[in-house]
Amino acid sequence: MVKVIKSTVLNAPVEAVWAVLRDFNGHDQWHPAVADSMIERSQPSDKVGCVRKFHLADGSELREMLLTLSDADMAFSYCLMETPVPLLNYVAHVRLAPVTDGDRTFWHWESRFDTPLGRETELRTMVAENIYQGGFDAIRAHMGLEGAR
Amino acid sequence: MARVYISSIIDAPSTRVWEKVRDFNALPRWHPRIRESRIENGEPSDKVGCIRDFHLQNGDRIRERLLGLSDYDMFCTYAILESPMPLTDYIATLRLTPVTDGDRTFAEWTAEFDCAPEVAADLVSGIGLNVFQAGFDALKRQMAG
Repeated sequence: MVKVIKSTVLNAPVEAVWAVLRDFNGHDQWHPAVADSMIERSQPSDKVGCVRKFHLADGSELREMLLTLSDADMAFSYCLMETPVPLLNYVAHVRLAPVTDGDRTFWHWESRFDTPLGRETELRTMVAENIYQGGFDAIRAHMGLEGAR
Repeated sequence: MARVYISSIIDAPSTRVWEKVRDFNALPRWHPRIRESRIENGEPSDKVGCIRDFHLQNGDRIRERLLGLSDYDMFCTYAILESPMPLTDYIATLRLTPVTDGDRTFAEWTAEFDCAPEVAADLVSGIGLNVFQAGFDALKRQMAG
């Protein structure tokens, strides 16, 4: 079992970041890895249990199910259902917290998954850097924020 | 039930900040409002259940019991046993979480307590600013560089 944890600080109020992140179908608007996305069966993207089907820039198709969504905790979790990349039993959790000192946002993104033997490091790095850190950087660009440091 | 929530970013790895704050008897070494502190009955300060008896710079005396301590999750939970403040059932938690982006620390300090409605706002802002934010400001200064 591989575990990935990445976190960052955004120079924006937590409500503004949550407004972007809580849309389970909105990642194609800001994440550079996602080319297009749709929710299956025309369900609303905040319906727990809905499935997003999306394509990466290289054309590969993935499906993920929304497992948890909480406006009270500003958190959601989801799992991978179908993927050409061998991330097995992949479950991820996103949560935001206010940084009251400066009215900023703490963003925590973590997941656990299995991989084929010997590919742990490669896939951990791909998830941590390309998906999570890449997502942090992309949100900053999307929201017009300066670097967190 | 009144609630206080204060959070901050400290520009140092969370393991370093935790070394400083995990000692339940170390408030005088990092918090500017605390003058001196001791653990009752000569117990170790990381023994869950131990009691710290400390004085503020203004002379006020407070006794608090350690309810929970985790080196794995980096949090410390404690309750007030005795204080001059007009409140009851006060439980607070100080928690650190790593910020991987920049190897910094997300620090959260929360408290819940009961009190008369007319004093709640003053207590919440006083504890939030003078205790929690003042503590984080001191850590930010001490951990810099």
